[in-house]
Amino acid sequence: MSRLKNNSCQVGKIVVFCCNYTTSVSTDTLREAGLIPENLDVKKLPCTGRIEVSALLDAFEQGAEAVFVAGCRSDECHNLSGSRRAEKRVGYTKRLLEELDIDPDRVEMFFVHRGETQPIVDAVREMTTRIAKLGQLHSI
Amino acid sequence: MIIAEQKPLDEILEMISGVERLLVLGCRGCVAVCSAGGDKEVGALASALRLGRKKAGKPIEIDEETYVRQCDPEYLEPLEEDGKRYDAVLSMACGVGVNFIADRCPGINVLPALNTTFYGANLSSGEWAEMCAGCGACVLHLTGGLCPVARCAKSLSNGPCGGSVGGRCEINKDVPCIWHQICEKLTSRKQHQLLREIVPIRDWRPSGHGGPRRRIREDLLP
Repeated sequence: MSRLKNNSCQVGKIVVFCCNYTTSVSTDTLREAGLIPENLDVKKLPCTGRIEVSALLDAFEQGAEAVFVAGCRSDECHNLSGSRRAEKRVGYTKRLLEELDIDPDRVEMFFVHRGETQPIVDAVREMTTRIAKLGQLHSI
Repeated sequence: MIIAEQKPLDEILEMISGVERLLVLGCRGCVAVCSAGGDKEVGALASALRLGRKKAGKPIEIDEETYVRQCDPEYLEPLEEDGKRYDAVLSMACGVGVNFIADRCPGINVLPALNTTFYGANLSSGEWAEMCAGCGACVLHLTGGLCPVARCAKSLSNGPCGGSVGGRCEINKDVPCIWHQICEKLTSRKQHQLLREIVPIRDWRPSGHGGPRRRIREDLLP
């Protein structure tokens, strides 16, 4: 597993809403290992099906440059359809961002195999690349 | 219930362009049930508007509140005073709520966040369909409970127009021909004699064409 380059920490804040079951390894451990950047704010949920559109928008309002949801693969959701519900809410949020003339790529849904760390790290890397390309959303 | 949907964000942002203090006011009646104007939608819209205004370099102060109903005077009472603290109140109720606030709270600049669309039923999570037109002269006893006013594209009273194909309406193949369904239902229930009854030309006055409607029940008046 490769470490994130140091300069990724200089990119804006990324917020991830994470299913409790998908990330069994603590984010502190990942951060200490240099696998996720300092600017990543991890919010754990009992299930990503709990995520609300307002929470995703609120994360942007609070200064996030990108937001993503990491839920169980659709055939592995502890609550059967939680991650599929989350995917739909992410889709709705994308539409609202488009209406606000904000690039919908700033929010994304990732399906993650339970207990695996690499997909989370890959998702962080993907979102870091996106915001580096898209530029700053928040000028203040 | 009354079905509504949120207006496009750019339309709402245009509406509140000069507003610095805004109250987004939801309703826990019909619009909460049809996921257009309840607590969750109030939170999402307020967040989106704050984000949109921040992005435009014109931050806005927004409070969020949801009333039990916006179409009953007792629930609107606090708004008469509380609403004065805002440049505008963005109502997430149906048009009834917006009108009622405008009537009851004349000092408040009330704006609509929703388009009120129809009277409908919840087919499944996230899907609603029109079932009643509120025409004021119900004929459902003649049509097997299926409304030709709301569910026929031409609101025909005496059978299908002849344009349907395979039981589907000519305006869109996804729309069932309600007269096809009425005929099938009455026939299966051996009530097909009802189809022979010629319904006279409809009097549209009770449907609102005679002006705004009002209902009074004397025994309940104060």
